Amino acid sequence: MKVTADRDRCIGAGMCALTAPAVFDQDQDEAVVVLLDETPPDDARVLVEQAVDRCPSGAIHVR
Amino acid sequence: MTTLPMMPLPQERTFPFDPPPAYAGLRDGDRISRVTTPTGLDAWLVSDYRTIREVLGDGRRFTTRAGMAAHVLGGFDPNAPIGGFSQMDGPEHVRIRRNFAPQVTHARRLMELTPMVARITDEAIDRMLASPEPYPLHREFSSAITTGVIAELIGVPPEKYHLLQDAAYTLFDTTTTPAKLQAALAPLFGYLMEQIALRRAAPGDDIISRMILHSADSDRPLTDEELVRMNAALLVAGFDTTASMITYGLVLLLGDRARWETLCKDPSLSATTGEELIRYLAVGVGLLRQATEETELHGRRIAAGDFVVVAVQAGNRDPSFLPDADTFDLARKPGPHLGFGHGAHACVGQHIARMELTTVLGALATRVPSLRLAVPLSEVDWKSDSAVRGPAELPVAWS
Repeated sequence: MKVTADRDRCIGAGMCALTAPAVFDQDQDEAVVVLLDETPPDDARVLVEQAVDRCPSGAIHVR
Repeated sequence: MTTLPMMPLPQERTFPFDPPPAYAGLRDGDRISRVTTPTGLDAWLVSDYRTIREVLGDGRRFTTRAGMAAHVLGGFDPNAPIGGFSQMDGPEHVRIRRNFAPQVTHARRLMELTPMVARITDEAIDRMLASPEPYPLHREFSSAITTGVIAELIGVPPEKYHLLQDAAYTLFDTTTTPAKLQAALAPLFGYLMEQIALRRAAPGDDIISRMILHSADSDRPLTDEELVRMNAALLVAGFDTTASMITYGLVLLLGDRARWETLCKDPSLSATTGEELIRYLAVGVGLLRQATEETELHGRRIAAGDFVVVAVQAGNRDPSFLPDADTFDLARKPGPHLGFGHGAHACVGQHIARMELTTVLGALATRVPSLRLAVPLSEVDWKSDSAVRGPAELPVAWS
């Protein structure tokens, strides 16, 4: 599983950090997405997919 | 000239908790149809989950420049946008939004705000229990809590609460004229302008000060006017919407004793209950967008400049999104519903609103399990001239 985050597109809604905190965080200054783990273990897939679905700005992707 | 059907609006008197039945037929049929909205704009009406996400999620094809609710709010002229935060697109909008975000959508900041919300809620319950019954829950409890939270966040003292309440009620009143809206906003803008000058000189720990300090280091620091508009938007959007959600949610819970008792037996269900209320009820009447270019929606050709209204309430009940979407389940695991919108303009205050709703439900279920409606459900007085749905007032009792 490969996760990508587009920081230019991110609006800092924080849904990803709340949904999958092992994979996503928000930076202190702008609350913009910080990708903690680009290749999380397979058992994180359900949460990562939920985070992608909940992201309002379409800033994160998984494949 | 052909006359278009009127956009069906929710009617709480007839269907207190459900979207207009016409939406289900529309959703399962053509998915998109041509309607006239209450302010006379002709628009495409979209009510299925997938197409709503497509419209709200694509700020390039569908602009919010005309205003999010100009189809129901007479005070808004979609052809003369006032240039507020909710009417910006693209990088301009992201620049402003990123000054909000650390103050209201950062998980760590929310943890800091939790005790304040709990205190304001407890004080409101104390006041209620010390009052005679029946008690007007919407005005004295729900609105008092949400006003208190947003005002404390921004640093507005109680003697100025009327400024934001007047502005919010006037803004969401569907009969408001542009002149009345301007008259209601002017005192709030004037007050905020004074506060910005004071806080530029001596910053505190409130949102205005934090935004001033935060943007000072950026390439384009926020101007006084931008700060006024952002904070006015937060104040106005932050209280009647959330207050209505609290009151409306309590009608649904108290109207069916088994639901309320389930929550009282296990108040830890307040988080899923709150989220399910937001999905199930959705207090808005629909969001407006305008096509920026000729495009297609579900196979229909949409011309550049056409208006599109998305019926969020109906989208949240779409069975293709959620198999038993018409069932209210207070233990349901939260999914990506549309109750706070979607896309770059998704509600910026949604985490705070969630926290308020969850805190209030948990505190009432723990402290006042005997709470009940003081009038039959059929006699609840619903708002009829507001873009924010819910009861106009809700008499409750507990002894």
